[in-house]
Parts: sequence; structure tokens; C-alpha cells
Amino acid sequence: MRTIRSIVIPVCATIVLAAISAKAEGLSLGSKIPDSTVKMKNVDGKDISIADVAGPKGTLVVFTCNHCPFAKAWQSRLVEIGNAYQAKGVGVIAVNPNDPTSYEEDSYAVMQERVKENGEQFPYVVDGTSNVARDFGASKTPEAFLFDKDGKLVYHGAIDDDRDASKVTKHYLHDALDELLGGQAVQMSETKSVGCGIKFRPKA
Amino acid sequence: MNRKYARVLLVAMLAAAVSCEGKPKPISTDQVHVTPVKAEDVMRIVREPGAKAVLVNMWATWCGPCREEFPDLIRLARKYQGQGLRVVLVSNDDEDQMPAIKKFLAEQGVDLPTYLKGEKDMPFINGIDTRWTGSLPATFIYDGGGKLKEFWEGQGSYALFEEKVKPLLNK
Repeated sequence: MRTIRSIVIPVCATIVLAAISAKAEGLSLGSKIPDSTVKMKNVDGKDISIADVAGPKGTLVVFTCNHCPFAKAWQSRLVEIGNAYQAKGVGVIAVNPNDPTSYEEDSYAVMQERVKENGEQFPYVVDGTSNVARDFGASKTPEAFLFDKDGKLVYHGAIDDDRDASKVTKHYLHDALDELLGGQAVQMSETKSVGCGIKFRPKA
Repeated sequence: MNRKYARVLLVAMLAAAVSCEGKPKPISTDQVHVTPVKAEDVMRIVREPGAKAVLVNMWATWCGPCREEFPDLIRLARKYQGQGLRVVLVSNDDEDQMPAIKKFLAEQGVDLPTYLKGEKDMPFINGIDTRWTGSLPATFIYDGGGKLKEFWEGQGSYALFEEKVKPLLNK
């Protein structure tokens, strides 16, 4: 009995820890778009990849989902930014990496409803293995990755500095997009916000 | 009372206490304490002398895995606080969620001091630890000297918390 407690429990604990901390480090600035040709199912039923939507001026990939209250808090700002900058030549794609068995609300059907409600004019796709999120080193929703016209990472992190839209003082993603379009270096290139941990599907 | 019945009653009470171990014992929201803090305040609490191990847990009322691991954290705190474990629970909810925070803490029977993130996300996250991405839940374990020994993002378990904390308490 003592052997079981002194061996089995620490082994189980170590396995739990390994499982939850074993993920890629966040992408470093200058990295190329991971998994750019991986096809993901869009809310309109078509399979598309990040490369399919890459824009002449750059590409914005945002990991988001349906259930997370933080993703919801930033949703309308994300739609506004996505629609506006897509029109300016930045490819935009929202990716849901979550396992819907963790939260039913993260299902494909609810994604389709949300797009109708929110009015986004860019794709909202399912990362069906959660591996795209893994390869980006994404850890939470929402989390944004902005790449330049050559597919190199120039901004990673939050949409802005406050989940409450009325208290925003720093428009991180907006500013990064403007700097990118203006041919300037992005000043605040890595930011953070509190968010819901991604509910990764088990590795195949 | 007859000695035999007293003994039976005592055994019954002990049995009830043992079987209830691990289940939260709800308290009133008046007994719950939540203080807004900045990262520097959290780190000051971590470094306060008197603990052999300090476990900081970042959670929020809306975070499913946070709520699931919470009873294990409380059970750990109750078991080891007398042996030098300080458990620092920090809600990352908005202040307008205070009623929900207190309700949840009361249901979990948490009468120890707890905290609420009281500054913008980025300075808070980086002020705690630059390796923390801001994902919830997140757990940080420090030794008695305030040195970080373990850190992870994602749901933990009683076995994991205990395994990481015990070696520090045994020193």
C-alpha cells in the first residue's frame, strides 16, 4: 500500500503535469506562419487554409471560441477590426481550436450562429485536431497573431488592454495593423491578456 | 450519557468527519474575504516570512477548469496550512463580478484571505511571472524564501498539488 502511494501517485501527478505543460512556446517574432496550408472547416462548409486567405498586405490569425467570456467580451471589437482591415488588404481568419466535448457551446453549429449574429466577413474555422493552435504555441482565447506580407510574425497577443471596451487605453492590435500597413515597425509587438485556456483535443 | 453510547457517538462523528473530507463546507458570504491587489502586492504576500511553501492560484468564476480544481486546492490548504503552506487564491474576474466571486467562495467554504486582480491584464501578468501567458487556471509554487519552484497553466489535481508542495514543507 505504501509502495502504491509513494510510486503511483507521484507518477500520476507527473503525467498530469507533463500533459498540461507540454506545449510549444509561443511563436517568436519573425517566425513564418505555421500550418499555413492545413485545411480547416469554415462556417460555410468549405475547407480553407490560412494560405487561402493570406492578404497582399499581411495576415491576421486570431484564436477565439464561442464559450469563453473573454472571447465574447472582445468579439465585437475583433469583428470590427477584422472587417476593416480585410478591406485594406490584410487576410483575416478566426480559428476555434477548442474541443467541443469540453464545452458544447464551442460546437460548429454555434459557430455558424455566432457568425450570423456578429456580422464578421472573414472566415471562422474549426482547428479540428487543435494542432494548428499547438503549432502556433497559442495558449488561450482570444489570442492574435499578425503576419506581414511575407508571412513573418510582427505582432502576437491581445486585441487591446482591457476586456471592458469602455476602459481601453491601448489599442494594441489596431496600432500594430496601422504600423504594418504604414510600412513601420510594430512598436508594441508582444502583449498579453487574461483568457480561457485552450481546450486542446487529445493528441492523435 | 452512558459511556458506551458516548463512544458510539464519537466514532459516528469521526466517521462523518472523515467521509466529509474533501467536500466543501459552505459558509456565509459575510465570512468571505476578497481584497483587490496588484502584482506587486501578490509578490509581497508570497515573500512574507513565515511560510515554508506558497501556492498562488489564478482563477475566475467563469473558468470551468478553475472551478473543478478549486475543492482540491481548499482541501490542500486545510491539510497543510498548519505545516507551513500558504495558499494565495487570486480571482481574475472583473470587480463587478464580486457577488459571483463571494458566492462561489462561500459555497467552497473559503474563509481564508483571498484576492482579486486589481490592475490591467498585462502589467499584472508580467508582474507575477513573464512566463505566464495569462491563461487560466495558472498555478505558481514558491519556497519559503519566495523562490519560484513550479509553474503550470491548466487544470491541476490534488495529487499534483500535494506532490509539488510536500517536498518544500518537509525541508
